[in-house]
Amino acid sequence: MDIEKFNEYKKLTRGNWGKDLSMLKMMTVGLLNQNKDEELTPIIEGLLNYLLAIPKARKEGKKFIMHPFNYGPEIFYAMDMVPLMQETYSVGLAPLGLNEPYLDLTNKIGYGDNPTVCNAQRPLIGSYIQGVAPIPDLLFFLSTPCNSLAMTYQVFEQLASIPTFKIDVPYWTYNKVGEFNDNKVIDYMVAQIKDLISWLEQKTDQKLNLEKFRKTMGKVNQARQYILEFNELLKTVPCPVNSQAAMGNFLSMVGYGGTDMAVNSTKYLRDTAANNVKEGISGVPDEKIRIAWPYTHIFFDGDLLTWIEETFQAVVIMDLLGFYQVLPHDVSTTEKCYESLAKGTLDFSMIGTCRGPIEYYIDFLLDYVKDYKIDCVIMPMQFACKHAYSMARVSSEAVREETDVPVYIFGCDPYDSREVTSESIRGGISDFITQVVL
Amino acid sequence: MPIIEEFKNTVPLMNSWIESWKNEGKKVLGYFCSYIPEEIFHAADLLPIRMRARECSDTPMGDAYMTPTTCSYTRCCLELANRKEYKFLDGIVSCNTCDQIRRLYDNIRYKAPFPYHYIMGVPGNVSDTTIDWFKHEIRKLIEHIENNFSVSITDGKLKNSITVYNRSRKLLRDLYNLRKQEKPPITGTNILNIITAGTSIPREQFNELLESQLSQISKENSSSEYRSRLMIIGSLLDEPEYIEIIENLGGLVVTDSLCLGTRYFWDLIDETTNPIDALAERYLTKVSCPRMTDGYNQREDFMMDMIKDFNVDGVILQRMKFCALWWPEIFMLRNKLKEAGIPSLELEREYILSGAGAMKTRVQTFMEILETR
Repeated sequence: MDIEKFNEYKKLTRGNWGKDLSMLKMMTVGLLNQNKDEELTPIIEGLLNYLLAIPKARKEGKKFIMHPFNYGPEIFYAMDMVPLMQETYSVGLAPLGLNEPYLDLTNKIGYGDNPTVCNAQRPLIGSYIQGVAPIPDLLFFLSTPCNSLAMTYQVFEQLASIPTFKIDVPYWTYNKVGEFNDNKVIDYMVAQIKDLISWLEQKTDQKLNLEKFRKTMGKVNQARQYILEFNELLKTVPCPVNSQAAMGNFLSMVGYGGTDMAVNSTKYLRDTAANNVKEGISGVPDEKIRIAWPYTHIFFDGDLLTWIEETFQAVVIMDLLGFYQVLPHDVSTTEKCYESLAKGTLDFSMIGTCRGPIEYYIDFLLDYVKDYKIDCVIMPMQFACKHAYSMARVSSEAVREETDVPVYIFGCDPYDSREVTSESIRGGISDFITQVVL
Repeated sequence: MPIIEEFKNTVPLMNSWIESWKNEGKKVLGYFCSYIPEEIFHAADLLPIRMRARECSDTPMGDAYMTPTTCSYTRCCLELANRKEYKFLDGIVSCNTCDQIRRLYDNIRYKAPFPYHYIMGVPGNVSDTTIDWFKHEIRKLIEHIENNFSVSITDGKLKNSITVYNRSRKLLRDLYNLRKQEKPPITGTNILNIITAGTSIPREQFNELLESQLSQISKENSSSEYRSRLMIIGSLLDEPEYIEIIENLGGLVVTDSLCLGTRYFWDLIDETTNPIDALAERYLTKVSCPRMTDGYNQREDFMMDMIKDFNVDGVILQRMKFCALWWPEIFMLRNKLKEAGIPSLELEREYILSGAGAMKTRVQTFMEILETR
């Protein structure tokens, strides 16, 4: 990173952010220092700007809204608000081992345990009790992908008395033939999104600027187009990027979808992948194994995927979040923009695969295994993730029956290193790859 | 035979009422949640049976497919479905009430299918938009049943069914009102026996039994002694023996917030309006369970009203192990009770009663705390 740029960012991190943003400040400073001697990619630049926008919003009196990891924030940007994905904390703190103190506190006050309530959200309650949870002006969440998320957001809403809006995500799909299709789903979602916009207008005391809205949706669409191309490039053998790359697309869309930053980040990733394909460069030297990973990363073990790459010459081509699946839509009119928001909500990472019947997940997985020339599937299922863990076995049987590709399922907690240790996870993966896959 | 014994006869999955119903060549459907409008099945002349799995002793299949960290109710149901213990059912109807019930439905379809399956989407919050959507979901369920069972569910039939079910609700409220007395004439154990029976026998017969029961106990004065008046709150509980343990220790359960309790029957359905509108309105706005993401204040108010109206001394907050809905909910309710100075006891349990010894010790201690106040 250019020293002047570094100092510019350093300056922005200074000052008192307030106690509730103290951990955010720590994460921002950490990210900056970690990348001091690295190239400032649009991904890192986007993340730094995203985090720095929160204290800036406070100073400027802009509304700061918190939302979960399965919702694109474009409507918030279109309404000149500053969004923050709550799980930035649990994901960001996990590799530093800093979720654990808050989880311990959460246990102590009697708010769930690791196998019952998801630790992507649970540290929020412990950190709130300690006064270090970010207190947004507004809160927003969805009824899916899980009860756990909806409950913790609801509890946070009550504890901190934050005005909150909820969207119900229906069970049905809009784009598949068969028993799970319902041609009224989009209308239902559009109606709810219009309710959300009315609520936001009331809370921010400003009307949605339709011109800005259409421009924002145009930017979302552009980023989705780049991601679509990137995802197509992942089919190349060898895979042109490493196991971590796709996460950049997810972070861009969940953090700053609808902004120039997301357009730049996704273009950068698409261009990198395209260039590597052209040059014959692979993400993992001498790629031997292509892995589908249809769940989240093990966030507390930031080196796990690199270890898999180096130990087995294996590349994780897909994870459930990083493989962003929302397609570009027609956004030529305001009504089409609403429809795009509706489809984007229904298809967002984890929502699209986990909100309805098991077929959404199985079909996604089977298509992926076939299209991306997958050699094995690894499912690291979180104990508290009831909806995902309890479809793992049937899904793995479907994969084996239809593709003959081996599947490894194991239970863990991606946010708490003590539940199943890194050594144990690596041991299991090693046994699977050496004894079953190779 | 005391009428309560009639209710207790419904404990086995298959009871004599179901047998008679089947002998008439009529169909029986299992359903999973109090958010599914039973009136629709009744209007189709199908017998709705709330899914129970109390005969389940171990869950190897449930553990393997639902995994050991899902609630034992869903594991038990999958287990019994796999063992064909529900073979008297002609099908099941589920809903997306919680993640575990939703995935139970998937696992049943793949590993232990029934002749008929349907799942309905129940919105997770209440607004004009979601109520409209729920009307759509109700119409879809009606259409699906009509097509699959060659029946016609008219508005007239639905209105009649609403009246029949409202009759149950009114009778149950009358029964609950008797529990406000200083010496309630019925125990919480028997109340759970009655309500559970209501979900496994034909509704008209249930209403007749309920009327007889009311008439019988209205004439009686309770001779039962108790140490404290309790309210019980929490997740699915269809095991009267669980409450019996508490009552044997002197804690008389006088009211509840249970899905086989007040959350099942407390709110009536408007009989004067379009039946589908009335069903959608009632089922979505009824005293909620924590699956409803915007219902906490309503649930808290309901609890506090019940405590006042039924003169409750203490509250038992029970939750099934691994329930992601009820643990956070109980965390909030417990804080509210503490703030209001009302003692509470939190109990974790499995679907099938286990660890009764430890439970007795904790309840006994709770009783002593209540008595020293």
